[in-house]
Order: sequence, then structure tokens, then C-alpha cells
Amino acid sequence: MKIPVKSKPALKSVIVAFVILSGLTGNMESVSASGPQKTGNEISKANNQPNPKETSVKAVANDSKPMPVYGRWKNFTTKDGLPSDMAYTVKIDGNRVLVGTHDGMAVFENGKWRTYTTKDGLPHNGIVSIDVSEVTGDAWIGTLGGLSRWSGGKFENFTQLNSGMPNDLVYGVCCDGKDVWVATGGGAGHYDTNLKQWEIFTEKNAPMHEPWTYGISAGDGKIFIAAWGGGVIEYTKSTKKFRDYTDPDGEMEIDLLLNDGPVHDITTGTSWADGKLWVSSYFGLCNYDGKNWKGYFDTDSGLASNFINFIRAEGRVAFICTDKGLSSSDGTNWVTYIKNDKNADGKAIITTGGVKKEIPLSPSLSHNFIIGVDADKDFIWVATSSGVSRGELLK
Amino acid sequence: MKISTKNRWILGILVLLGLIIYFPGHKFARAHVNYRTGVEDHPLLCLNCHLYMNTSGPIAKMVNEDYLSPINLAVSKDGSRLYVVAQEGNALITVDADQEKVINKIEVGELPHSVLLSNDGQKAYVSNQWSDHVSVIDLSTSKVVDTLQTANGPAGLALSADGKMLYAVNTYSSNVSVIDLETGEEQKRLEVGNNPTGIKLSPEKKLLFVTSRRAILAPYGDPVKTDMTLINDSSRRIEGYKTLESAHIAENLAFTPSGDLAVVTLVRPKNLVPSIQVERGFMMNHGIGIFEQKKDGRIIQLLLDEPNAFYPDAFDVVITPDGKKAFVSNSGVDCISVLDMDSIRALIAASTPEMLNSCANNLGISSRFVVKRIPTGANPKGLALSPDGKKLYVAEQLQDRISVINTESLETIATIDLGGPKKITVARRGKRLFANAGHTFQNQYSCYSCHPDYHEDGLVYNMASKDMGRNLTNVQSLRDISKTAPFKWNGKNQTVFKQDGIRFSTVLTRTEQFSYPDLDAISSFIMTGIHYPPNLQHNPATELTEAQLRGKEIFERTVDQTGKEIPVGNRCITCHPAPYFTNRKLADVGTLAATDDSILFDVPHLNNIYASAPYLHDGRAATLEEIWTKYSPYDRHGVANDLSKIELNEMIEYLKTLSSPDYYESLTKKKHTENTSN
Repeated sequence: MKIPVKSKPALKSVIVAFVILSGLTGNMESVSASGPQKTGNEISKANNQPNPKETSVKAVANDSKPMPVYGRWKNFTTKDGLPSDMAYTVKIDGNRVLVGTHDGMAVFENGKWRTYTTKDGLPHNGIVSIDVSEVTGDAWIGTLGGLSRWSGGKFENFTQLNSGMPNDLVYGVCCDGKDVWVATGGGAGHYDTNLKQWEIFTEKNAPMHEPWTYGISAGDGKIFIAAWGGGVIEYTKSTKKFRDYTDPDGEMEIDLLLNDGPVHDITTGTSWADGKLWVSSYFGLCNYDGKNWKGYFDTDSGLASNFINFIRAEGRVAFICTDKGLSSSDGTNWVTYIKNDKNADGKAIITTGGVKKEIPLSPSLSHNFIIGVDADKDFIWVATSSGVSRGELLK
Repeated sequence: MKISTKNRWILGILVLLGLIIYFPGHKFARAHVNYRTGVEDHPLLCLNCHLYMNTSGPIAKMVNEDYLSPINLAVSKDGSRLYVVAQEGNALITVDADQEKVINKIEVGELPHSVLLSNDGQKAYVSNQWSDHVSVIDLSTSKVVDTLQTANGPAGLALSADGKMLYAVNTYSSNVSVIDLETGEEQKRLEVGNNPTGIKLSPEKKLLFVTSRRAILAPYGDPVKTDMTLINDSSRRIEGYKTLESAHIAENLAFTPSGDLAVVTLVRPKNLVPSIQVERGFMMNHGIGIFEQKKDGRIIQLLLDEPNAFYPDAFDVVITPDGKKAFVSNSGVDCISVLDMDSIRALIAASTPEMLNSCANNLGISSRFVVKRIPTGANPKGLALSPDGKKLYVAEQLQDRISVINTESLETIATIDLGGPKKITVARRGKRLFANAGHTFQNQYSCYSCHPDYHEDGLVYNMASKDMGRNLTNVQSLRDISKTAPFKWNGKNQTVFKQDGIRFSTVLTRTEQFSYPDLDAISSFIMTGIHYPPNLQHNPATELTEAQLRGKEIFERTVDQTGKEIPVGNRCITCHPAPYFTNRKLADVGTLAATDDSILFDVPHLNNIYASAPYLHDGRAATLEEIWTKYSPYDRHGVANDLSKIELNEMIEYLKTLSSPDYYESLTKKKHTENTSN
């Protein structure tokens, strides 16, 4: 069976290798947990103790429409039970947190980490994307060797050889009702869990530049695919029609005309929330409210870096994973978390109306190369190239 | 009386003509029957073939009957009513338990499977396996008041602890529909084990256990493992799995009232050893699995078989309200095994883990806890106890009746005739033979054991040849095979008469062959009485989707992607033409293993192929995709390597839509009618 992969292998290989390896070449310093790890409830109790360093953060957070600010970072590495410090993705699932790493999936539950690998049934140890179905509670795990449904502790694997899966490199996965969508190296795929049917979308049947896709998300009755060289591919579920959003400047690495569309055709992620589609690329960030595009760059906003690996929007706030720290934004205000090069501390840079404030954090994130993020009401979890970090919402 | 000379001449000529016709005719008939049966002494009984092998038409109607075939039943809370699912009668039959008489017959969907009563006893829910829905019956009016849509092939039913949700186990699609009874809408489908059937809510009302009949798909050589799926009733999510090692065909289960144990029926296949070892008991065993309901509870398997007498095809299990006795219907030997639960508890308590492991293969262990075998009518299936536990009701499927057993005396105290036909047709007799293990050495198994639902068990057996090759054989479905001869993967049997004749007894049953009347009867049943379920999962609207139509084009193409003509012999459609999707010839698709006898393969029929995993003669392909992605690297199984993944997917989606031959024949007729009217 021939699996069509028309690509620009050299360029892709360089970027993928950079994403995976750059963290290893960076500061590998990590902060190990001291003493027993806390559950969410235990952490809430710990919040009652005043922390002078965070007082100023609270003041900023209490502004009108404040951006959520996270502090009291707790970092986890192999010393704490992770299978690898190279974490690619993170997903909060109720009382547990699923982390995809280079050497398997780690699950944090009741204050303990447990690792799952190919020995437990996963198709590959490189876990690069995870989503959880709100309908069934099943976790869908995208690996570098196929997709896996984790249900009741059992892994059911879908590969390009045993199923209608487009390709085994599953960079993105998104659960949408009974449907599971994947962004793979051989196109986007849609699996109807009720009918057990696959549908594949590539440059042959969708307005893609080529089949390589990096990210996928759902919202507003649509699916948004981040396609290499194809910008954003939008699929309307009711009509089953595609349309694409591309950068009029093409693949130029500067955005000649601002706000004319996605900032670049090589997109890395999409996320829809609160009426807004957020799109990340290796060349900047943008969002789309259904009428207008708005671009953001590290030079004109609070964005940590234009090199963005992943994006997740929750409500009005987007969390942006860059190679130089974690940023969050509502489109106007920014909070960016950066770790110091020399020690475990760092800072939160809060940008509001062009005014920047720096809040020292001790400790900070475990590393500045951020690859995955997820947040719920009280916590944010961040996958970095040197461990996983958990931040607590400062109220 | 004086016969004139003229008349003498006429008579003489007639006799001469008769002799001229008879001898060659007899010779022809003998040769014909010899060919059809593979033997030289089968009686020349033309009617046995030409009357009883008709699948449709007035003759078929004349020689067959519409039986009821009860499969499952429920008892009302006050014990006054039995509600019996008539599987072939497509009905729920209400029986007055005291008067032992049928009150009414309520029509439901196609091939109903299970019945469940609502907590208030006002409603009955009946799963209709061939209609993909549940009939809701108002028991006060005996009317169907609603139908609840499910996934494919609903069987076992259970209510949530709060009574607000109905769980329907979908056998064919291997999932569970969670249906909101207030709205009647299916809320979600939970993926469960392979080919599930039974479901029960545990006594503490937290977890539902779902049984599976088929094992987890795995390469031949891996031990057989079958999942029991646990559903959390409050979150309505999959909680986990319990795995039955070296076992499958877990049809149904029951909890002890105290909740300390769950008991499931099972079969332990010995498919990894050569089937020539039948006389050593190396084909399969039959028993129960016991799940200790405590933290880190063990899973123990106990055989119901005895050293020289097996008890195949356990179908249902119930436990008395005092938790003292369990009853298991052994469908293959027409009896109910009575189990002393305290003896089982004592056995478990006194045994080390090693001892318990050995119980799984200990043919003598049943003497420790089986207290009686109660004979029943043909093919006992579903069981139900009266609320006080004093009576056991048994659905005798191929007897069209309910037997009533006193659970104290362990004697049958009554039988309730459900009103089915009194005449036992040839095909019905054949069905009884098919489902009964009496024709196998020590009653080890019936035809049904490997062909549950008259289909297939999803396993691969080592049918070692006389040369002791491995000859792995993927069990094939028996649905609608009447026009798909020859049979077996090597196509050596031109008819079912030959397939089930002397060789069958030599190789498989290891006992006397069927008598010819029995052989004729079982052949009649196999050739006429087994049908495909409608393909409601992949072809529900009987109109193909655009993708499926594109897949059909690929399946029927004559040129490859470059425009080059595909050799006729290497086109899908050449070997797999409708309506049976077989040309009934032998072919080499490049999958012969080094250990196989050197054979060509009989081209298999592809109707409802979605339901026949694994694929290829030795089951090496777990999915349809693998036939081409893994096992046809040189395009010997049709030209497919030029297809993109999208195109391959579309072809497979088309293959999954393939339905029964009747469906295609009706399409042809419809087309013909349209053309004529135009």
C-alpha cells in the first residue's frame, strides 16, 4: 500500500528536529518536588499562606477583566516519576492529568505519576497529542506510531496499516462529540466512533497545500486544521464543505500586510473558543473573529516568541506555547511566563495597554521551550522540553 | 382377465421402455448422488435434496414451518407472568405462569433477543437484534408504545440503578447504547469487548458487567483472551476490563445476591493444538468463570465437563435468591447443570492460586460442585427464576416450549407449550442436530460451538492434515452458503453432504458419522435455514454514500491508476462478483503459509464481510485493511498497491456495505421492473 506523503522533507525535518531536540540543548535544569506531592485540595489549603511575591500579581490580576495569572509553580521531572523530561503534550481530565512524553504517557492522579508505554499496549512511546472525549470519557492518544483509544485502562490502537487512519504520525487529536479528528503526517482524518468509519482529507480532496497537518480543533460547528503550507483549513460539519484561510503573503517569513489573514501559511495549531479562532505558526500568532484577522508578533505584543509550537484557547484566553516561554492573551492583554536562564526562578511579564510589569516567580516554569498546555478552573499544566510544570491560578 | 395379444405387445414395449429409461436413469441418479454426497451408498432419495433444499418459493413454504424459538425470558415481580422472547417468531409471548398457558403474543422487531422489565413492572423492553432497536411494550395493554434506536444488533439489556437509563448491548457493533428513557434518545455508545451479549448491574448497583463472546483479535499462537467490560453506572463510562484467559463465548452472567461472586458462562477452546486430538479432549471445554467481587478479587475458571461427558454451549446462568444454587443451561446437551454455590465457595477458599489455575483444565472438578444435570427439551437457552426462587423457567429454543423446574426437588414439574408448529420439519430436525453435541465424541462440542449464531466464533483452528502440517483454518460463516459451493478453504467439498459426511466424523467429531437421514436433515438446515442479518450498520439506507460508490468503482475497475489494464484474473470483481461475491473457483492470492498443505483457496463469499474478522484463510489479517496493507505486497490479492490511502479506505467502506445475496437479488429485480415499466 502506498501512503502518499508529498512533502518538503528537508525543511520539515529541520523544524521537527528542532522542536524535539532544542529543549535538550537548552537549560536542562529542573526543579524537583520537595516532599510529598499535593493533590488539588491540598494545594488549595496551601494557598491560604500569604506569599509576598505574589501580592503584586494579585493587584494586576484584579484589574478590570483581569487576565488569569498563575503562580506557585510546581515542576515535575523524571525524578518525580515522569518517564522522560521531554514532554510534548498535556491534557487535564477531571482529577487526573495525562502527559505525553518522549518515552510514554504519564498520568498524574492522587499525587502520583504512573507511566504507560508500548509494554502496556500503546502503539509508540512518543506521545505527541492527547484529547479526552466528553461523551465517553475515553482518552485518544496521538503518538508517532498511530492513534490509541485508552478506555477503561485498555489501549486500542489504530494505525495506517490496520485501519483507515491517514498516517501514523498523529500530531493533533481532537474529540468532538462522537467524532475523533486527527492531524497527521498524511492528512487529517475523521473517525466516527459510532459507525467506526474513517474519512481522510488531504490535498486530493481538501484545499490543502500538502497532506502534512499539525494541529486540529473543533468549535462553532466547524473543524479547524492547521495544515503545513495551507494555512487554516476550515470544515463545516453541517455542509461537509471546506474552505481555507491562507496568508496573502504566502510563505514569506514576514507579514507584509498586517491583519490580512493568517500570519503565515505554515501553521502549527488552531484553537477555537469564545467566538474566536486562534492560529499559531512558527512566524507569529493570529486570531479570527469571523470577520477580521488580527496578527500578533513578539515585536508588537506581549508574545514571548513568534516560534509557536502549540496553542490552546480556554474561554477568552489563549495559551501560547513558544520556544521562549509561555504566553497567554485575550487579544489585548498579555501574561508571559519566562524562566531565568541561570536558576529555577523566573518572571511573569504582564502587558496591558502597552505597559509592561514584571512579577518575579519562584520557582518558575521548568523550561522555556513550551510544547503543550492545558488549563482548567484552578490550574494550568505545561509540557516543556525539560519537565512538566503546574501553575496555580492566583485569585 | 384375458389380455389381448395387442395389449401384450403394448405392455411389453412399455416395460422395455421403462427398463431402457430406468437403468441408465438409475445409473445417472446414482452417479449424481455419489458426486453430491461423496459416498457410494447414500440412498437415492431425490426428495431429500430436491424438496428440502429449496430456500424460497412455494415448495420451501410447504415443507417448512414458522417456529417460535424462545431464547430468553423474564418473570413479573409477582411471579404470575412470564414474558418469553420468541426469536424466530419475532414476538414477545405473555404466559400465565400459574395456568401455564399463553395469554398473548406481541409482535416486536426482527429477531428479538432479550427482554427486561421496568422497575415498576409496567413496561417490557425487548431488544430486536435485526432491527437495531428496542421495543417498549406497555404490559397493561400489551402494545408496543415506542421503539428506541440502538447501534447494531442489540442483545442484553439492563437498567441503571436509578431506572432512568437503559443499557443495550450491541452484539454486532461491539458497543453499548446508553439510552435516556425520558427522551428515548441514545445518549452515547460505549465501546466494549468483542461481540458482547449479556449485561448485569452488580448488586451494590455501581458497576455493570458486560460479557463478550469473541476473543480479542490476536495473531494465531497468542493465547485466547476475552474481555468482560465494566461500566460505571454513575459516570456511565468504561471503568475497566476483566480478562478471561484462554476462554471465549462468555454469553451471560449472574451475580450472587450478596454480591460476593459473579458467574459467567464460557468455553475454553484448544485451538492452538491440532484438532486431531479430539479424542483426548483437545478441542474445547465448557464451564464457568467466577469473579470474586472484592479488591484484587481473582478470576477462577471451573469446568462443568466431566472426564467422559462434556457439557457444551453453556448459554445462561441464574442464581437463587438465597445464593445457594446456580443453574446453567447447557444448550448443546439439552440439560441444566445445577451448581452448589457453597461448594464452589469452599473450593475457592481451600485452594491455592496454583490449584485454582489447574481447575480451569480439571475435568473432574465438576464433581465437587455440580449436584445434578436436569434433562430438558431441545436446546435450552435463557433461564429465569420465580421471585421466590422456587421455580426455574427454561426457554427450550428448539422445542418451542418453556419447562418449569422445581429448584428444591430439581425435577421438571411442568412444560408450557408456547403454541409453535407441532410438525418437526426436516430442516428443524437438522437445526436440532446442528445445535446438539450428541454426535461428537463424548459430546465435546456441537456444530454451534464453533458457529455460534450459526455464524462463526472468530477463531482460527489448527486443522492439522494427515501429513501434520499446521493448516490453520479461520472458521467461516455458514450464513446463506447454499449457492457458494464448493466448501472449505481448499474447496474440496462440493456439497454440504460431503462436508458433513464421513470425513467430518473422521476428522472432527471422532465418532460415528451422521446417519443418512440425519445428514440429509442437517444439510437441509445448513443450506436453507441460516440467513444474514440485514447490514444495518454499513448499509442502513440501502443507498451507498458517495465515498462507498467511489469504493465500488475501485472494486469493479478494469484499469489501474496509470490507465493500464488490470489482468482479468487480478481484478477484484473477477473473483468476487455479486450476489455472493465469489466466483466459486480456486485462486492463489499469495497467502499460502509454509506450513499449509499446498492448495489453492476457494474464493470466499463476501456478504456481510464486515462481521467476519479476522480475514484470510488463516485469520492473519485482523482487519480488512491488513489484507492489502500487509498481506498483498505484490498485488497477488488483486491490484491495490496503486491506490492512495483515501482510495483504499473507500474500497473498504464499500466492502463493509456488502449485504445478503437476497438484497442484491431484490436490487436486480427492482432494476428489471423499472426497465420493463420504462
